[in-house]
Amino acid sequence: MAKLKLPPRGEATAEMTRRGFLVSMTAAGAAFGFPRAGLAAMDPAAPDGVPATPAGAVYEPSLWYAIDAEGKVNVNIIRAEMGQHVGTAIARILADELDVAWEDVSITHVDSAAKWGLMVTGGSWSVWQSWPVYRQAGAAGRMALIEAAAAKWGVAPSECTTQDSRVISGDRSVSYAELVSEGITRSFTEDELKALPLKPASELRLVGKDVTALDIANKTTGKTVYGIDAKIDGMVYAAPLLPPTRIGSTVASVDDSAAKSVKGYLQTLTLDDPSGTVPGWVMVIGETFMAAQRAADKVKVTWKAGPTATVDEAQIQDHGRALIADESKGSILDTGNSDTAPVFEAAADQISAEYTTATVLHFQLEPLNATAFQNEDGVWEIHTGNQWQSLILPSLQAALGVSADEIVMRTYMLGGGFGRRLNGDYAVPVALASKALGGKPVKMVMMRPEDVLFDSPRSSSVQALKMAFDADNTVIGMEHHATAGWPTEVMVPSFMPKGTNGEPYDPFAIAGADHWYSVGAQKVRAISNDLANTTFRPGWLRSVGPGWTNWALESFMDEAAHKLGRDPLDFRLSLLTAEGRNAGSAPNAVGGAKRQAAVLQRAAELAGWGSDLPADTGIGLATSFGQERDMPTWGACAARVKVDRATGQVTVEKLHLVVDAGIIVDPDGALAQTQGAALWGLSMALYEGTEIEAGNVRDRNLDTYTPLRMIDTPDMDVEFIESSEVPVGLGEPATTVVAPAIGNAIYNAVGVRLRHLPITPEAVLAGLKA
Amino acid sequence: MTSFTINGKVIEVDVEDDTPLLWVIRDEIGLQGTKFGCGIGMCGACTVHVGGRATRSCVTPVSAVAGAEITTIEGLDPEGAHPVQTAWRELRVPQCGYCQSGQIMQAAALLQDIPEPTDDDIDAVMTGNLCRCMTYTRIREAVRDAATAMKEAASNG
Amino acid sequence: MIKRILTGGAALAVLGIGGFAIYAWHPAIDEIAPPSADSFPEAQIEKGRQLASAGYCASCHTSADGAAYAGNYPMETDFGTIYSTNITPDPETGIGTWSLAAFERAMREGIDRDGAHLFPAFPFDHFAKMTDEDIAALYAYLMSSVEPVKATHTENDLPFPLNQRFLQAGWKMLYFDKGQYEPETDQSEAWNRGAYLVEGVTHCGACHTPRNAFGAEIATQQFAGAAIDNWIAPALTSDNPSAVAWNKDAFFQYMKTGTTTYQGSAAGPMAPVVHAGLKDLPDEDLLAIATYLGDQVGADDMAPMSNPAVEKSLAAGAPQADYRKEEGERLYATACAACHYNSVQIAEGRPDLGINSAVRLDDPTNLVHVILDGVHADQGMEGVVMPGYRSALDDQQIASIAAYLRDSRTDKAPWVDLEQTVTEIRAQGALAH
Repeated sequence: MAKLKLPPRGEATAEMTRRGFLVSMTAAGAAFGFPRAGLAAMDPAAPDGVPATPAGAVYEPSLWYAIDAEGKVNVNIIRAEMGQHVGTAIARILADELDVAWEDVSITHVDSAAKWGLMVTGGSWSVWQSWPVYRQAGAAGRMALIEAAAAKWGVAPSECTTQDSRVISGDRSVSYAELVSEGITRSFTEDELKALPLKPASELRLVGKDVTALDIANKTTGKTVYGIDAKIDGMVYAAPLLPPTRIGSTVASVDDSAAKSVKGYLQTLTLDDPSGTVPGWVMVIGETFMAAQRAADKVKVTWKAGPTATVDEAQIQDHGRALIADESKGSILDTGNSDTAPVFEAAADQISAEYTTATVLHFQLEPLNATAFQNEDGVWEIHTGNQWQSLILPSLQAALGVSADEIVMRTYMLGGGFGRRLNGDYAVPVALASKALGGKPVKMVMMRPEDVLFDSPRSSSVQALKMAFDADNTVIGMEHHATAGWPTEVMVPSFMPKGTNGEPYDPFAIAGADHWYSVGAQKVRAISNDLANTTFRPGWLRSVGPGWTNWALESFMDEAAHKLGRDPLDFRLSLLTAEGRNAGSAPNAVGGAKRQAAVLQRAAELAGWGSDLPADTGIGLATSFGQERDMPTWGACAARVKVDRATGQVTVEKLHLVVDAGIIVDPDGALAQTQGAALWGLSMALYEGTEIEAGNVRDRNLDTYTPLRMIDTPDMDVEFIESSEVPVGLGEPATTVVAPAIGNAIYNAVGVRLRHLPITPEAVLAGLKA
Repeated sequence: MTSFTINGKVIEVDVEDDTPLLWVIRDEIGLQGTKFGCGIGMCGACTVHVGGRATRSCVTPVSAVAGAEITTIEGLDPEGAHPVQTAWRELRVPQCGYCQSGQIMQAAALLQDIPEPTDDDIDAVMTGNLCRCMTYTRIREAVRDAATAMKEAASNG
Repeated sequence: MIKRILTGGAALAVLGIGGFAIYAWHPAIDEIAPPSADSFPEAQIEKGRQLASAGYCASCHTSADGAAYAGNYPMETDFGTIYSTNITPDPETGIGTWSLAAFERAMREGIDRDGAHLFPAFPFDHFAKMTDEDIAALYAYLMSSVEPVKATHTENDLPFPLNQRFLQAGWKMLYFDKGQYEPETDQSEAWNRGAYLVEGVTHCGACHTPRNAFGAEIATQQFAGAAIDNWIAPALTSDNPSAVAWNKDAFFQYMKTGTTTYQGSAAGPMAPVVHAGLKDLPDEDLLAIATYLGDQVGADDMAPMSNPAVEKSLAAGAPQADYRKEEGERLYATACAACHYNSVQIAEGRPDLGINSAVRLDDPTNLVHVILDGVHADQGMEGVVMPGYRSALDDQQIASIAAYLRDSRTDKAPWVDLEQTVTEIRAQGALAH
């Protein structure tokens, strides 16, 4: 099948390795850090986020870390910290190979300088991609330190070992600190790197053990520095006035006469955006945040609205249905045999169903914000929290009309990402405002309704599924047609692979439909909903496509099982046979569908699948392979729900999650991520969802948008399968199994089949009455 | 001019009466541990203590707190070692951390009012604080742990 | 405090007859040289200070940005705006040249030094009950301790003929009982002391007793509760709607702290009555007032935790898994419950809304005011605030919260036209503080 290209997969790892060591070789012995370290980088454990200056001589075995003369190891992290404790997870991979005492380790989230290569944090790739790179980097440093000690003592390196920041040989031992202060300049060729011995899993000391993440303490004392906390001397504040449509609106007139009486009001800017990111934006500038807000209330702008000003959710969904009905549309994924037409023609029986999901907001708790200015070196600095610096930098360059080396992004801690900050569009209007003010520092903090209006929401979706059976009720074919707004198409079309029919597709909008069930002929068709794409900016939102594909697939698996009169667990297991393309392959998908069968079985067992339950109570199962076939995280959920027949209220009594993510680098972090992911899934199953109305999302704040809260949080058990396989992502996979597990549980409780997310009491009641 | 005490220090600010306390704390006084989330008092990220009671500062006009005593996350404990903060670290509650100042301030006030909270008590009081990373399971546990720690400290002290 | 009282001028309608002008006429009292501050004994001044607080004179005689007692506080009436007068000892614009006799006549008869009738927005009908000694003390305090401020009185904005002060005489003839307070012999000393203060200097009835069409308190409905300054002054009788009846202890706690655990907080116009007023009285006077008012309500000792209304409210306040089913309940659970939730008992400072008078009054006004604009640090429980949701929630959302509370926590009839009420109260603007 076509490889998912975001970021270039296996190549990304190779690129990180090569880049790390090439740079290191040319820069060996150069000063650690950055020209303006205080501003450039962020240590989440330091007060105010400013990294400590290294002491004395410094040894930089690779771009990724440095050891100073006191033996302190600082690990450079190119990933954004948004709650996944990514820096700690990566640093401990390195520290484990380096055999450095954990107390000596600090981390630095770096700026967007070109030397760091592609910067993106998403798709649950961080640990998976960093695993080989940082292990090699750690092993290289350890080897260099051993060699230095061996030379000092006149012994063979093979007679030396390392432990807790010391090299040991017989009864002699020397600290890393001492070795570094004596001077080390050793560098490695790529071949040498590849030949370095790595610890076997059994000798890993930090990986898999409980370590408190370095960013946690500051988050309990209010010291963590987020983008919203950026402060630049002399900065002014911008309050945006948003056009009536996301795309295609133009400013007809601006009247700021009423704002002139506001104390601290400076001026109103109509943005001219060569990058096309924020058409029709007006920014009201004030001396303080409140001055800008008060003035913005009084500035009157009239717009010529874009063409989508009357589009609503029903139109988008109807358009999706029409697209599915047109067989010429969309891209066919490579699923082996996708020639399903003859199979369905010859089928003894078949089942089909349509599933839909509503628009979902990110509602990351830190509203979008950014600060921009031109520094004394003439370089434009963008201070903000962002998940994909490499994506927005070209837009920022276009907006400012400058070259790549004239702009740098300082990444702050993120008050929630969930994919919203993969799209850094919010930095563009701030850069433009600063440009209009001659490079003066400008800070924009969006009020919540504007943040939501400018969200890149998870698109609504329509999906049609079909399954064909032969006379023995064996599954012989399956089709899965899915349409939605495509984030990758609107934001980075070059990242779209092509299907077997030569049409490009957004892998994130279809992943999950290309499942590991062996169903005979299998057609997976992904169709871009162009009306969605032009009405709003579809976004990547925690798991993206599997949020809808898995809802459809796993609900449909139950529907098919019930149609055949089979137990949904047995039915699934009979298809998870790990044959052919579903057998799996090294290094990432060893075991294939067998591992998926194992987690599903385990979840069913933990939940007491098959046991007697009280009236109107049901258990539902669902399983998933996470995001992508070549980085599968095997997961399963068993949800027990109780349905109130009078009100339609669904109470989730218990969630069992079983996950196989290979080696678990950070067990407590993995648990936290899985808990959070599962609850996001629950929130989107029952409590979240909005609609497009008049070209924009209807719900703009928490008075009407109602995500899961503590009171809604059910009892939850998470179990990880012990494994020595390659560690894969955890931030997203648990998100997608919860909704179908709940849908299936509702069916098992009261016999009502729900095919739309979110599930509402009204829909349950309607089903009960039908 | 409005005058009040914040983290033990008397402050005088010259802002319009209807300026939300949140922005006075963040922008005028420069204490940025208190966060802006929704602006309508429904996420709790801006929770501070006014007169010892958890208060949503984004919907509290500064004129309302004239003469009052305010505590922010920075002033909850000089060492950052309030039993709630300690429990939060021990259970590694924070993920992105953005809501946690508010969660901690709300939890500290909860335990002052209800030293031995039941799960219902925790649910009722903490439901006003949204955590988008959904750390609720750990918040619940940490509130219980902090309650135990405070009770032990009281019986030893 | 009173900011909105009918002008008594309406009494004109029934009094068109000749000879009235003669009845209405009063002579001016001669000016004196302002007395020196040290001409009054310290103890008398201190007593006067307490009485000035207890009568919260400053509340009505001080404008938003003016000096204390310099007047020009606008009082909105149904007929126009009346501005309070300057009672600092400034000889030109204040009462610096008033003799004690002139001051006493004003207090007892509502006639100023020049002989002009004062509008009954000035509650001389209550002050008349005061003793000579107390009036003299008040005079001593104002003349000796208040900074003289030159501030010319703003002309009242009343249409003719309501602006004709002499017509007030007719109102007085009909409704004004000049007598000083007479103790009731079958009551305790504390009760009588309380009654003296309540009916006199603290003029509680001015707000809590309904008035007739001519703006006079209806004697037969003393303390039955009334609308005042766009708020509701609840009944101070057994008709008070609080679930746990007020008694002596509750009144004492309220006057001392601005709040009670079970009944409510001193918000709106009542806030300065407590915080800039009554609180300054010695405890024995507060206990006396509490004794008298407790007797008006007629409640015995409270047993709040066995009160069915309390039980119902606590049960209704327990977290509900299906809290999303109604908008008001959902908004309450997310915006209000963090502070207002109580479990096994009602904690001081966590006002329980099911038993609070604001939720139980026939009129939702007080509740709506508080949701819109909160409670400031100098109101209710001192130093504690409630946020205001004026800019956070729309009228319909605020109405939904009020309706939810009324429905789920009380057995009272639903409020009608709630959303319209919110719209109207919102339009009054945020309270000036």
